[in-house]
Amino acid sequence: MGLIWFQIKRVFTLFRSEVLVLPSRVAVLIFVAALVLLPLFSQDPYLLRILILTSVFAIFAASWDLLSGFTGQMNFGHALFFGVAAYTSGLINVHFKIPHFFTIPIGALAAVLTGLIIGIPCLRLRHTYLALTTLAFPLILMGVVFAIPDVTGGELGVSGLDRLSGSRLRDYYITTILMLLLSFTMWKITDSKTGIILHAIREDELACRTAGINTTRYKLMAFCLSGFFAGIAGGLYAHIMRTVGPSTLEVSMSFQVIIWSIFGGVASIYGPIAGVFILFPLAEVLRVVPEWRMLIFALLVLLTLLFMPEGIIPWIRDKIEKQCPRCKIRSVAIRKTCRVCTADLD
Amino acid sequence: MAEQFLEIRNLNKSFGGLLASNDVSLTMHRREIVGLIGPNGAGKTTLLRLIMGILRPDSGAIHYKGKDICGRKTWDIVNMGIASTFQNMRPFRRLPIIANVMVSCLSPRAMTRGEWVKRVEAKAMDALEFAGISDMALEKASTLSQGDLKRLEIARAIATEPELLLLDEPFGGLSPAETDLMAKSIKRLHKGGRFGRLHSEGPAMIIVEHKLQQLMKIVDRIIVLNFGTLIADGAPDEVVKNPEVIEAYFGEGGI
Ligand SMILES: Nc1ncnc2c1ncn2[C@@H]1O[C@H](COP(=O)(O)OP(=O)(O)OP(=O)(O)O)[C@@H](O)[C@H]1O
Ligand SMILES: [Mg+2]
Repeated sequence: MGLIWFQIKRVFTLFRSEVLVLPSRVAVLIFVAALVLLPLFSQDPYLLRILILTSVFAIFAASWDLLSGFTGQMNFGHALFFGVAAYTSGLINVHFKIPHFFTIPIGALAAVLTGLIIGIPCLRLRHTYLALTTLAFPLILMGVVFAIPDVTGGELGVSGLDRLSGSRLRDYYITTILMLLLSFTMWKITDSKTGIILHAIREDELACRTAGINTTRYKLMAFCLSGFFAGIAGGLYAHIMRTVGPSTLEVSMSFQVIIWSIFGGVASIYGPIAGVFILFPLAEVLRVVPEWRMLIFALLVLLTLLFMPEGIIPWIRDKIEKQCPRCKIRSVAIRKTCRVCTADLD
Repeated sequence: MAEQFLEIRNLNKSFGGLLASNDVSLTMHRREIVGLIGPNGAGKTTLLRLIMGILRPDSGAIHYKGKDICGRKTWDIVNMGIASTFQNMRPFRRLPIIANVMVSCLSPRAMTRGEWVKRVEAKAMDALEFAGISDMALEKASTLSQGDLKRLEIARAIATEPELLLLDEPFGGLSPAETDLMAKSIKRLHKGGRFGRLHSEGPAMIIVEHKLQQLMKIVDRIIVLNFGTLIADGAPDEVVKNPEVIEAYFGEGGI
């Protein structure tokens, strides 16, 4: 009994000293709590539907960040992973009646394989060439989709997929929790030693090689990991929409993910997620003024990037937190001294 | 015949019509420090890049510890025990300095050596300590001065615990006092031993440098390149008396 009490106290102290001290951590906590508790206040099907899709696209955007933001392999055709996984899940679900519990992971594996296949030719390419090449891949696949309509359903796509679950509420919890788990995993990957190497590859690949790192292996790994997470998003999307069409491979799909990520702040994982959570619902709200929608949206993104070139989340973070010039640990902006080493802030 | 530590045979490399390495042959043994000099554009950096596998030679062979390393990947060569610095420093600018060195510590070679295998960060810190920039470990590399970037280059190179170290102008951009310090560090490194968790094999070295006076103090031997051709190879005081070298080097208004 005493032991349990001791543990609880320990966790609480840890919570107070590690989470409550930083606004950004509190914000993450509130965000998670709000997502989990939201259905207690509203179960409006339209709202839930938007949030379900938001979560799916958040996974998708974070996976782009892993490859392009961190590793610097600018992918302009990220929809490829999404589409491959969505089609794979859809086709095997409809034709072979495999339950979604398996189709989504299988779809993700197909995306991993795709990552490997496109990763190899992309190894030698950099910057603009890489971006243009990757842009082409989903379009090629779209060509294939239209070329064999007997299998893929052509323009109409594959429909009649199993539901993700029976109810919208359950769908909501599945996608939300998966989003949180997968995002946390991605963040952990980037925060690890592997993450340092991925950063280093983005900064200077040649220098990374002369440090003895097999950059080929790490770049392929980044392609595969990114494909895996994007693939999960694609599979979820297929089962939520219950239909997979060529729209999953469209250029706009690839570009949207880039806009969301840059808006939120790249090379952070949480930035792109926040970007999706702000921009995707906003785009839905703007549907009420369809003729203004694109204009407002474009202006907003443009203005943000003009005034917050790092993205909105790093910008906010710099406003509410200050980094200690000595130990580089962050403290609340209102503090005068660092919370750890007590050096003067600013 | 005993196997040479490093043996370069008839190495050729041209860029378009320009011969940057013209039939270069040289050998080195395990404990040697060799100075590599020559006027600007003589092909010194090119030679180091050929050894590192960053460039592929048009013809010729490079044998390191009896193995042909021509055509191998750069990271394989590094993991075999050759490390190098860049003349024009190439740090990972947006990473903290400590992370810059940790990348080297995460290479397979560094990871499998020493008893502190897991303590990557501590080892990186010791490399920084050796290079004399450990107090700035948490700063972003983009904030460093030229001299400190040179030190960072050295820290990154020694973190892989090389047996052959290729230094491209380690004194470039350093003040005379800093140059002396750097020269001392290089000597110390060459002696070998432990620097905290970092182990020095007492690497053989090839040092490219324009500051001849300081270079003469640390090297056992000097090699001179001119227009990609090796024109002299011998003891420092002999080489500087060599008329051909004087012609090539000082004739262009060098020093
Ligand atoms: N990648 C390249 N492409 C084309 N030409 C090159 C390349 N690298 C080097 N060169 C040329 O090869 C010649 C030798 O260059 P290198 O950099 O090896 O000279 P260096 O001896 O290091 O000179 P410095 O003392 O200025 O560093 C130069 O004329 C240079 O212009
Ligand atoms: Mg040079």
